[in-house]
Amino acid sequence: MNVMSARPRSAAPIRRPGLVVDGVLLLAVLAAIVLALTTDRFLTVANAKAILTSASLVGIAALGLTLITIGGSAVSLAISPSVAAVGMIFLSAQSLGLIAALVLAVLCGTLITGLQGAVVGYAAANPVVLTIAASFAITGIATGVSGGSTVSPTAGGYDRLNATPGGVALSVYVLIGLALIVEWTLRRTGFGRSLYLIGENRRAARAAGLPVGRMTAVAWLGAGALFAVTAAFTAAFNTSANVNLGGTLTFDAIAAVLAGGTPISGGRGSALRTLAGAVLIAAASDILLLRGYSTGVQIMVKGVIVLVVVVTVHLRTRGSRA
Amino acid sequence: MSPAAEELVRVDQLTKSFGSTRAVRGASFGIAAGEIHALCGHNGAGKSTVVKMLSGQETPDSGAIRIGGGVLDLRSRQVAQRSGIALVDQELSVVPSLTVAENLMLGDQRARWLNRRRASGPRLRSLLDNVGLGHVDLDQPLSELGIGERQLIEIARALGQDARLLILDEPTATLSDVESEYVYAAVRAVAAAGCAILFVSHRLGEVLGLCDRVTVMRDGAVVATTEVADLTIDSLIVQMLGEAPHRSRKRTGGEAGKSGEVLSVGGLSVPGRVEDFSLGLRPGRVYALAGQLGSGASDVLRATAGLVPAAAGDIRVDGVVVRPGHPIAAARAGIAFVSNDRKSEGLFLDKPISWNLLATRLPSVTRWAVLDRQRWSAVLTDLVGLCGLDGGRTGDSVRSLSGGNQQKVFVGRGLGRSDARVLLLDDPTRGVDVGGRAAIHRLLRDAADRGMAVLFSSTDLEELLDLADVVVTMHKGVVVQRHDGDVAGSVLLREMTHGAAAPAEERR
Repeated sequence: MNVMSARPRSAAPIRRPGLVVDGVLLLAVLAAIVLALTTDRFLTVANAKAILTSASLVGIAALGLTLITIGGSAVSLAISPSVAAVGMIFLSAQSLGLIAALVLAVLCGTLITGLQGAVVGYAAANPVVLTIAASFAITGIATGVSGGSTVSPTAGGYDRLNATPGGVALSVYVLIGLALIVEWTLRRTGFGRSLYLIGENRRAARAAGLPVGRMTAVAWLGAGALFAVTAAFTAAFNTSANVNLGGTLTFDAIAAVLAGGTPISGGRGSALRTLAGAVLIAAASDILLLRGYSTGVQIMVKGVIVLVVVVTVHLRTRGSRA
Repeated sequence: MSPAAEELVRVDQLTKSFGSTRAVRGASFGIAAGEIHALCGHNGAGKSTVVKMLSGQETPDSGAIRIGGGVLDLRSRQVAQRSGIALVDQELSVVPSLTVAENLMLGDQRARWLNRRRASGPRLRSLLDNVGLGHVDLDQPLSELGIGERQLIEIARALGQDARLLILDEPTATLSDVESEYVYAAVRAVAAAGCAILFVSHRLGEVLGLCDRVTVMRDGAVVATTEVADLTIDSLIVQMLGEAPHRSRKRTGGEAGKSGEVLSVGGLSVPGRVEDFSLGLRPGRVYALAGQLGSGASDVLRATAGLVPAAAGDIRVDGVVVRPGHPIAAARAGIAFVSNDRKSEGLFLDKPISWNLLATRLPSVTRWAVLDRQRWSAVLTDLVGLCGLDGGRTGDSVRSLSGGNQQKVFVGRGLGRSDARVLLLDDPTRGVDVGGRAAIHRLLRDAADRGMAVLFSSTDLEELLDLADVVVTMHKGVVVQRHDGDVAGSVLLREMTHGAAAPAEERR
């Protein structure tokens, strides 16, 4: 007896809102391509490198945030302060040598963000509230320890992170490598699978006896390591670091995750989507820059992209569920 | 019986079908002004559909509802409210963070943009006095009141709508005896003021003690409306069950004493819900907890699964203590739990069937934490076969399945764990069609045959009689009786609805 063979009969009419959304999306992509092709100097190797380079730093941090978002902890609002603090540690440890400084930076970054993750996972704290508090705490401690001054490196080993093998910034290779690793982890490991389950329905995961607290903490630990990698590259690029090193990174990373189509509610999304989201935002900014628009317009368009993608994702999932 | 002329409310030949199911078939009864009228019947008899039609939440297919002679067209709950029908729902719908006065004004159709709290003060005060809450201050936050007092606030709010008919849907199901007494007193006072009251309840003792007449429903039809003086608990149960299926439970597993207890629960208490519950489960047998809403049956299962932080007691699997309040500890000890709320506490609806079936088995389908495709598909094929699902659809999301098949996936997930020793199921066939129900019963019996101990809660007599080897009845948080041998359905129903009171006590 085949009790499950009856597929939902109303599939055809349900698809229609999905089709409309697809159509709009297709038009938008076409418009973007036309816009890109008609933009002077857009289709050059040099410009492609520029886009990837500008996407790389935000992209690496956004990969970390992807883990947090898929696992159902929404976002961390403490990315910029963590990156600033870890960047300062990285530069002041240069006398130990590049490798040792990198290891130290990753350890500190993992610890800072992992602690927040443990509170979110085990004590079910609200991640938004917790990370707002954490960002003040991190900035406060960093300011106190550094005395408010800018950290300058004691040795030049960090400069190797600014290398451009094959004419492309090292951070681009690292971004692509890390994106593949995170994607594989999410798809092929037990950790990745439980992260999707916990993100979709935390209560059900808890009732099923899944280690909700541990998996959440591990996701945040991974995110902390990725934030630390971003911090090392950002600090090396700036050759000095103070508490403002992170800049607008928090919102840039959130924008990249959302523009990639990962829903803020968790349970869905992927690292490659986030990579695409970061590149999309970088490319859009690049087009506007080449066409001579002001920074204000570039920032506004970033917001529009996030909005359009979030609405599209919402409409599509609603269409497929109805 | 009172003549129709005195009746304030008249329900005439109400009929309602959902799809092919005829939920209510030509139900008729009347309620006089000042009368407390009970509506009884076992689960699925059609009581709640009648309540929904009376309160404007469902439109009858045919039939009429009359109040004071005029036929009403109750298209929505607002219309019903304006027509003088007030409903106090099973679930509390008061807001703890608001004050008593604010709660009383909540949802009032006469409330305008500006709620004149001061002006309505005396009116609200008299509402509270009517239900015996004279000691409660209007500006007190509701969170300071107990559950029973909150229930009374709900009743007061319903009265504030100038109700001519007040419907109370199991108002005392989750209340203690003392709290229930407050509700009875309030209901009597309201009836004395000339309001007609429809009192839906599973507690037959309170029905006989409180109400004037009782209408019993069975299979969607009204069996009889009887003066309460002519009724006893037993005659009520006969009306609810009918004459036909009085068959006794047949025993299946004869393996008692063959091996030791796999799960032992001792002195389990959940504050306000369960008192001193003890039970031992042997492998290979199916146990049932029979109890209505508020009996504590569901709480026992949840507490054993580690989902009630406030629970205290001694829970052991194979003699090893399991810390209460820790679902991971319970799962690790081999306890699998199937919640009665499969949507929010069970399945991952947007994920494929395969992910859902293997959600709790990830460690056994991975090698060095990496998913192993061969193990994954081997385990999946086993489980799909075991549950009787379509192997070709394991990639589809669970959301696309029917309710019965969703439940199969949920139960199957608990079965799939090779280390699972005990399977707990909270009302496993709620909202499941007949075919799915039989399939789930088969799954549970198979699980027992493979050496698991199965414990489920239910209120369905047929399910209790057909499936369970041992039935434990519960009422108001305590165990009434354990039935290892044959037992008649009427005995179970009596214990579920009335507890352990001796027959002499019930006669009025």
